[in-house]
Amino acid sequence: MPITLYLKQAPAVPLETEVLSPDVISQLSNTEIRKLTVYHGKRQVPLEEFFDVDGEHSDELIIHGDLNKVRWIGRAMSKGSITVHGKVGMHLGAYMKGGRIEVHGDASDWIGAEMKNGFIHVHGNAGGQIGAAYRGSLAGMKNGTIIVDGSAGLEVGMRMRRGTIVLGGIARDFTGLQMKGGTIILMSGAEIRTGAWMNRGTIISLKPLQMMPTFAYASDFNPMFLNVYAKQLKTYGVTLPYAASAGTYQRFAGDLSVPGKGEILVWQPA
Amino acid sequence: MGGKVTCTLGEVKQRADFIVYWGGNPAECHPRHFTKYTIMQKSKFLPRGRKDRTMVLVDIRETKSAKAADIFLQVKPGKDFELITILRALIKDQHVGDEQIAETGMTRAGLDDLVHRMKSCKFGVFFFGMGLSMTRGKHMNSAALLTLAAEMNAFTKFVAMPMRGHGNVTGADVIMRWQTGYPFGITFNRGYPRYNPGEFSTVDVLVRGDCDAAFIIGADPGATMPQPAIDHLARIPTICLDPHVTHTSRLARVHITTAAQGISAPGTAYRMDELPLPLKPALKSPYPSDEEVVRRINEAIAKKPFWLPDGSQPQVVTAIG
Repeated sequence: MPITLYLKQAPAVPLETEVLSPDVISQLSNTEIRKLTVYHGKRQVPLEEFFDVDGEHSDELIIHGDLNKVRWIGRAMSKGSITVHGKVGMHLGAYMKGGRIEVHGDASDWIGAEMKNGFIHVHGNAGGQIGAAYRGSLAGMKNGTIIVDGSAGLEVGMRMRRGTIVLGGIARDFTGLQMKGGTIILMSGAEIRTGAWMNRGTIISLKPLQMMPTFAYASDFNPMFLNVYAKQLKTYGVTLPYAASAGTYQRFAGDLSVPGKGEILVWQPA
Repeated sequence: MGGKVTCTLGEVKQRADFIVYWGGNPAECHPRHFTKYTIMQKSKFLPRGRKDRTMVLVDIRETKSAKAADIFLQVKPGKDFELITILRALIKDQHVGDEQIAETGMTRAGLDDLVHRMKSCKFGVFFFGMGLSMTRGKHMNSAALLTLAAEMNAFTKFVAMPMRGHGNVTGADVIMRWQTGYPFGITFNRGYPRYNPGEFSTVDVLVRGDCDAAFIIGADPGATMPQPAIDHLARIPTICLDPHVTHTSRLARVHITTAAQGISAPGTAYRMDELPLPLKPALKSPYPSDEEVVRRINEAIAKKPFWLPDGSQPQVVTAIG
């Protein structure tokens, strides 16, 4: 029996709810959950002031409502699942170590920032800095998977170290900025400056990209590892073409300004 | 990326033999900059003054400053980040294609010459203006130039400095920095400073409607910010402190007229190189200074009960656990 939360009233200013995580809630009774402290701006208020809570003792959370001002949901969670029906605010699943987050609606900036492991699926659009490193931090997400069906904002996967990000819609500028590893898959391409200053890692685009001038064309090929990726991503409903009969990938190496060993693969259908 | 390599304008005046203005128009916007600090001054190390210095201007159009420059490079609009990234590659002897260079509006010969001059100078300076920091890419454009300046130090002394706009922006940054460790984009809602530009920076907070009151000193966001931000300022209680009636005071609930800093109120202004300069008022004003208004507001707030429930403390959110 999962714990279900309903947003009673929209917060006037951002509501910081890092307690909405299975790690915090799973052992608590219904009354204890209602008494958890959340921050409405600078004011500490009990969770029940903003949410109706059903259920107790579970590591499955279901949250309903327009949560676009509710931040830090699922922060550093390591187990269980969170399902959000509605919009969700910044820092969803930041620092998470395991478990699942599913959003049926739009998400905001910094989802899965510096996550270590786990799975995030956003069915709507997302904001910028997905799986990114916080300002002043050296590495972004270190493992795990983030799937966004819709579009995304600036600096997706900024300084990410490992892990996978899949974007169904178009991403804005600076996708994979200063990437140090991992994979970003762009099903609908991106705006400008993709892969700027990247060190290592792979960006795969199924649509033509405007390249940074500091990327050099290397070759056309069908990398073997994509078979494995395609099979794995199939389980999440993502279809990645890899067969030589269907087309080839153009490989661009860069970024020369670092100089980095990153690659951007652009799909060329046959 | 990281940090800013900088110096004072005194050092620029005494030593800089290679000066780049990027995305700024100092001849019209900072008219005394050339004569007081950069290209015109003679010094112990540059005894022939202007003849010992090289000035480069990088901009999208030929402004009045181009006449003062030895080299004018016309970059295509929105290609600054690309051009700086190419320069970062070229100083490391990486090969960049002619076609890619042409996309930014440059030629290979022009960039080779620029890189040679940058590497062979004794003391180089980048001054960058709003043409760089306020166009597409924003903070990353500035970050690119700062990184280029940092990387140039593998060859010679190089620094970068922003050309600030009106108001004492530098002063606000410096004060925030030594008090909190961060220059801007700070929240105190947990009782200690947290930094995240984009989340806590003024324009983003206002555009998203994340605040329910605003207190504005020495700025006119009503004239400069995007329309959704201005609409939100009009919606919420806004308090404005300014010597004049500004666009912001027209949409504010409260406007408090204060004395003009440096003219009728004393204080400290920070020059663009972060040097504090005392201001001596020449006139008397019937109005209180900004400082006095803020002090009196603080005294009134101190009389109110503490904003947290008795015995509780703000909880730390950033500790990973």
